[in-house]
Amino acid sequence: MSEKFVIPIGPQHPALKEPSHFEIFVDGEEVINATLRLGYVHRGIEKGAEQRTWTQNLYLMERICGICSHVHALAFAQGVEALAGVQAPPRARAIRQLVAELERLHSHLLWLGVAAHEAGFDALFMYSWRDRETVMDLLELLSGNRVNYSANLLGGVKFDVTPDQKVRILDGVSFLEERVQYYLNVVNSDETFLGRTRGVGVLSREEAERLGAVGPTARASGVPRDVRVDVPYAAYTEFPVRMVLSQQGDLQARFVVRLEELFESIRVIREILNNLPESELTARMPRRIPAGEVISRVEAPRGELFYFIVSNGSDKPERVKVRTPSLANWGTVLATAPGHKLADIPMLVAGIDPCFSCNDRTVVVKTVR
Amino acid sequence: MTLNLNPLIVLLIFPGGLFLIMAGLAYEYLDRKLVARFQNRIGPRWFQPLADLLKLLSKEEITPLGVQRGLFYLLPLFALASALTAALYVPMAGLLPAYAFQGDLIVTIYLLSVLTLSMGLAGACTVDRFALVGATRTLTQLFSYEAPFMLALLGPAIAAQTWQIRSINEYASQNLWLLIAQPIGFLVALVGLMGKLELPPFDAPEAETEIVAGALTEYSGRGLALFRLSKDIELVIGLTLVAAFYLGGIHSPLDFLVKTVGLLLVVALLQTLFARLRIDQVVGLWWRIGTILAVIQLIAIVLGRYVGNLIF
Amino acid sequence: MSQEVMQEDLLRQALDAIRSWIRAEKTPQPNRVDVVIDREDLLTVVETLRRIQWGYLSAITGLDHPVTEPAEGESAQEGHVEVLYHFCEKDKVLTLRVSVPYSDAVLPSICGILPSATLFERELSEMFGVRIEGTPDTSRLLLPDNWPEGVYPLRKAFTGFPEAKEGSDE
Repeated sequence: MSEKFVIPIGPQHPALKEPSHFEIFVDGEEVINATLRLGYVHRGIEKGAEQRTWTQNLYLMERICGICSHVHALAFAQGVEALAGVQAPPRARAIRQLVAELERLHSHLLWLGVAAHEAGFDALFMYSWRDRETVMDLLELLSGNRVNYSANLLGGVKFDVTPDQKVRILDGVSFLEERVQYYLNVVNSDETFLGRTRGVGVLSREEAERLGAVGPTARASGVPRDVRVDVPYAAYTEFPVRMVLSQQGDLQARFVVRLEELFESIRVIREILNNLPESELTARMPRRIPAGEVISRVEAPRGELFYFIVSNGSDKPERVKVRTPSLANWGTVLATAPGHKLADIPMLVAGIDPCFSCNDRTVVVKTVR
Repeated sequence: MTLNLNPLIVLLIFPGGLFLIMAGLAYEYLDRKLVARFQNRIGPRWFQPLADLLKLLSKEEITPLGVQRGLFYLLPLFALASALTAALYVPMAGLLPAYAFQGDLIVTIYLLSVLTLSMGLAGACTVDRFALVGATRTLTQLFSYEAPFMLALLGPAIAAQTWQIRSINEYASQNLWLLIAQPIGFLVALVGLMGKLELPPFDAPEAETEIVAGALTEYSGRGLALFRLSKDIELVIGLTLVAAFYLGGIHSPLDFLVKTVGLLLVVALLQTLFARLRIDQVVGLWWRIGTILAVIQLIAIVLGRYVGNLIF
Repeated sequence: MSQEVMQEDLLRQALDAIRSWIRAEKTPQPNRVDVVIDREDLLTVVETLRRIQWGYLSAITGLDHPVTEPAEGESAQEGHVEVLYHFCEKDKVLTLRVSVPYSDAVLPSICGILPSATLFERELSEMFGVRIEGTPDTSRLLLPDNWPEGVYPLRKAFTGFPEAKEGSDE
């Protein structure tokens, strides 16, 4: 085939269960260019935020993304607290971090399954999703919800961790630690799988820095960029995490970095549960938030989540800007795609763990009143 | 070659036609169920493949724009016909093949290739991009596994000194299992069969995460049902061939059942063990490793026979 | 450790490098500095930051400032869009603020220096109607294909389409 071909992927495509549209220009099996179109599920959340009160917005932000709902609410709550000059009590901050790390566990396991499926390795897909149920159950145990845990309040958290829950979470993460170790072995030793990941989608450190990659995608290329370490929020100063880095920059490194991060998450979860500080769960928040501008950054499972919140002194925000990690990482996919085989594209896309609902949020298609 | 008194029965009921269709559906169910259980899923109910088939048959068949209509409708029939015909020379269900003549092994292999070829053509005669890429991959894969697969089936033929499947089957049941005598050949034949059936990890031609359903993307209703049925039948024939050649022949229905199901178990396990190979990896694997292994096995057999003749 | 000393000096380092283009400067949070620069200097400043390897472009935010009722003694100000380029390095955030008036809402693209900026720039131009000159691809990224030209949803003036207000889906 000497003809230049355009392979459309999405917005409806069995590979991509989420709506975005790629146009992959191929020459035979080889990719020569790729373009991206987003916005199929825009909900106008940034605009909608300007019409809601601070408290209502907390719930709106939580609904930006179903997978990493907690970090969105966390970033928003911390930003608003910073504007109001309120600090959440220590126990609340520890619980926020606990939920964030549990969420990372569930998100990375979900991603592992999706990425394995893209590689045609359905056995790994099924097993990792089966084990992911453990952490989903733990989150349900804590919050009553499998997704959208609604843990945050402005100024604190909504629920406490009981001693019984503590025991069950410790049991659950011990089981998961074993499983993650097992998956790490599979990812590092299965020859057919390595054939799909090793040396594929290599992103050098310079490229990653130039393209502004964030999160595990950046760390797999050796860029030390982790908000939890750089700007400790929640209780990350008391319960710090180690940054997991790899210098390889290929898909395998992204697998390894994400899975090894889970060991850190599990270690921190244990540490928090065993040293949960005693305090109130909430601090008093004023109804009207003083005027000002604040930047709130947290490390979502996919990378740095960036909130820019402007208050005009009323009970509603003037502007809430959300930059999700997926948007920052798209550039790396588009830049690394040319030169790869068509078969590698779903893997490359999955490699950054894209979250489409996170990307699409800013358009008002229908004004909600 | 004896003339069968009831060629209609042979063609329509056993071993062709009805029996093969039922066997194909049963083996598809077994395959799906086994893979599901290996993957910690529940898997389909026993009648699911039949239900799928009936549902597809009753659905509207859409003719996409830009296809060559004649070819589009004829190809599924070609595929099914060639699969059904291939069954005539194979010891189906442990009974004697319906027909046999010197060289029917070559014809059977050829007929099985016609199936893959018509799938490739089916993809190529549409204008759909996924189907075109799928067709290219199907044909690429055909050219890569075909040679080693044939070489692997030639091994037993050379050992038995006949090109007739029936005679090879008899030879295999009278001698040491060829699985032990020619382990490399068995391996190549089994993996070649998986390549032929486009089972994971050789499912690049229909990799749903890249090109939807590959060559068959544009097919719906009857055409799709017939193609799927042909593949099920190919599965049964392929398993029977490999079992007859390498697992000490097949000479009773029970023998047939035990050996082919045992083989299916291994095939299902292999399907769950690996990640999908890229098409360039498939070609590399077959030409760099598969063919060489098969050739080595063949040389070993020829040498073995030569040395054996010298001794005895 | 010297690295910690370096961290303290990070913002100073950046400010020193771009000192000559700064029109105004403020520190809204301890780890942040906002600097106001002119549109003409944007490329130079970004290039300078790039040259001294300071930070990465974390986000581009648009802020809409519509025409306000003139306060006493002031003349009416034209509506303008303020564009904020957030650069992060470790815990420090440097924000470049550039204002463009509605009537001349054009900004040069910084893609030549930071290719990753293109998605942010396209989002900005669709939401706020700031034309970005020189960004590689200007086709629709986020808005629907049938979205009318010249309607910018994140401007304060936009409050929804009339028919959408009645609660119909389409």
